[in-house]
Amino acid sequence: MAVLLVCVTFPLIWVGGLVTTFKAGMAFPDWPTSGGYNMLAYPLDRWWHGPFDMFIEHGHRLLGMLVGVVTIIAALVFQFREQRRWVRWLAWGALLAVCLQGGIGGLRVILDHRRIAMIHGCVGPAYFAFTVALAVITSKRWREAAGVPASAAATRLRRLAAATAVVAYIQLVLGAVVRHVPEGAAVGEFQAAVMFHLIGAAALVVHAVCLVYKLMRNRELSAGMRLAAWGLMGVITLQVMLGAATWVSKYGYPRGLESLAAMHDQAFVAGGTWQAGLATAHMACGSLILAMSVMLAVRAARLLRPVGSGVATAQAASGGLLRQGLAEAAS
Amino acid sequence: MTNQLTGAISVMDSKHSPMPGELAPSTHHRGPVAPLAERHGSWSRGAAWAAWAVAVCLTFAGCGQPEVEFGLNRLIVPPVNLVVQSREAQLVDQNRPAGEIAEELATLKETYLHNEQMLASALTAVFGTPDDPYAWPGLGLDIKKLRMAAGPTGVRGVTRGLYREHCVHCHGINGDGLGPTARFLNPYPRNFQLGVFKFTSTNQGRKPTTEDLERTLREGIPGTAMPSFRLQSPAEIEALVEYVKYLSMRGEVQNQLMTAIEAVGGPIDENQLAEELQVALDLVARSWNEAEDYIVVPAQRPPFRSEQERLASIARGKEIFLNAGKANCIGCHGPTGLGDGGQVDYDVWTKLQREQEARYPGLAQLWPLPVRPAEPRNLHQGIYRGGRRPVDLYRRIYAGIKGTPMPAQGQTLKPDEIWSVVDYVMSLPYEHEQASPAPPSVHRAGL
Repeated sequence: MAVLLVCVTFPLIWVGGLVTTFKAGMAFPDWPTSGGYNMLAYPLDRWWHGPFDMFIEHGHRLLGMLVGVVTIIAALVFQFREQRRWVRWLAWGALLAVCLQGGIGGLRVILDHRRIAMIHGCVGPAYFAFTVALAVITSKRWREAAGVPASAAATRLRRLAAATAVVAYIQLVLGAVVRHVPEGAAVGEFQAAVMFHLIGAAALVVHAVCLVYKLMRNRELSAGMRLAAWGLMGVITLQVMLGAATWVSKYGYPRGLESLAAMHDQAFVAGGTWQAGLATAHMACGSLILAMSVMLAVRAARLLRPVGSGVATAQAASGGLLRQGLAEAAS
Repeated sequence: MTNQLTGAISVMDSKHSPMPGELAPSTHHRGPVAPLAERHGSWSRGAAWAAWAVAVCLTFAGCGQPEVEFGLNRLIVPPVNLVVQSREAQLVDQNRPAGEIAEELATLKETYLHNEQMLASALTAVFGTPDDPYAWPGLGLDIKKLRMAAGPTGVRGVTRGLYREHCVHCHGINGDGLGPTARFLNPYPRNFQLGVFKFTSTNQGRKPTTEDLERTLREGIPGTAMPSFRLQSPAEIEALVEYVKYLSMRGEVQNQLMTAIEAVGGPIDENQLAEELQVALDLVARSWNEAEDYIVVPAQRPPFRSEQERLASIARGKEIFLNAGKANCIGCHGPTGLGDGGQVDYDVWTKLQREQEARYPGLAQLWPLPVRPAEPRNLHQGIYRGGRRPVDLYRRIYAGIKGTPMPAQGQTLKPDEIWSVVDYVMSLPYEHEQASPAPPSVHRAGL
């Protein structure tokens, strides 16, 4: 159920990014109605054949509603089928979060304010990461994870994974600040936002490289974790390239790299496929990085959690995912 | 008309314009951050949460769209403290008594602030505000188009805010090229306020035609951050062009008035200002309205009859290109056209900046854009910022590129010589492939 929730939330992140890219957030001045219609009763014909900004914004609303419905179902399913009380609370927490996010989206329309749009854009990926964490927690592997005897190495690894997720989120927020710099902002404001975003990118790369290195050294750790770590590095690499391409498509080549402009002798088209596609992909990829780093952090927290030595040894011997040699290998 | 202007100026109010890069006074309420000192006990925790919630609500309550206003161009109208400092340095150099210096500086400050206020009022009277533009009838601007382009974005039911949606991030609310992203762009975004536009079909020193500006918006400027707006409707492009002209006219009137105020030498009164304003408006309106009369119409030439003829034209163009005593293209573009001629020069926007920074030493620290020299184009890249049609290149050579060190050669070269230089320049990107192949468009030497 949680996996389904993840699957419907990720497209919502993309469509939300498109709304910002095409400045379609105010396509309808009203909320929760769309152009005076109940959101679900908005004429299909008008939606499909109407202006593009309305198409995107209404699609975003409908998809958001779908995510809300799936979250309700997930909460109910967990309420009746999940044994762990805290997981049931998490599921209800997800429902609260999606309601809050919908409300912020509504406020963005009603108050028509850029800062609320930015907050909406930051809460969305956080919710997506939350659903991923929920999927990890409710997975079969979670239950099978044995834990390890308390060790400084395991603690460091857990903290590094958690720190990577935190840095990924801070970087995402910094990206949102760059994307939502007010029209009347001073030159220095945008410059500061860009600089912090670049510093955040560097910090995230350093954290991710360290995390992957540590996880790779722990060969006893599950193959899935190592694969996910490499996946994170791959997505971060893609994200750096997308960031550079997004910049070039919007602001041209920086000084010193002008000669690269010879690769295309036409100007980019404002709001065209390249400009809009790259910016949206960069935004969505940021959410994916956050989700993957949260997944790694949550799994690391589970797999490397300190347990009583007798129990841990017995569980490890009976087929737990983490081998006892982890502590030595990590050190 | 002058009386009307006098009345208009007197009823307008103005406010201090911040320096570019200086933050405008915030309109946001800043609620006090609730201290979370009491961490024990449910009552204190509840109170802390409540205070936090109130702080958040107060923050959002003050988040209405901030009022947007035009500011004075601080290169043209430097901040009063810099003007006073500059004058003080002069007086000290003249060994004037301290008391006399203080008295003169006090008068200067008072006069300058008065004149600054008058100037801002005059501009608001004839041009309105970014949310509510107004165009003095003599300027020939279409107020309906201006309203489409002006104002905030996201107003449903009417097309508004096009400039803020598409342009303001680079060109700034004043059209002074000081949008938030400006510092990162290369070249810097155009400052419309000098009324100079690089790529026009008109003769040297003339304004662009409406079609020139529309073309720039439709096609963008390859090799720069200026994108193509071809996805916008023709009506929207027309509205944006009208607004660019409006911002440009406003800037030019501001510059003219400042020159007049400096000539007065003391506090300017309403009647004087109204007269000067009328002169400035007439001058600016005329220069824009007569642009169509100065379109460069290239001499027609028949298509090449043979490959030899084309190669001969290219060879002739190369000869002219390399002739330092005639066109002197190599002075900037270098003997191979790589843009490595070594001559360091500046465009008019940067020259103005350098002049004013020399005059007011503190300005360099306040101005957000560092000085950059003009970079001659590397002609081997095949990127033609002002358009890649042969006629575009002909006009670049004939009338120069306005505001840049690229000079007009219309009086130096004959039409057929210019065409040969066009042929040579258009052959350069293909030079390395064969001896001198035919670029696709050269055969279509028609316009």
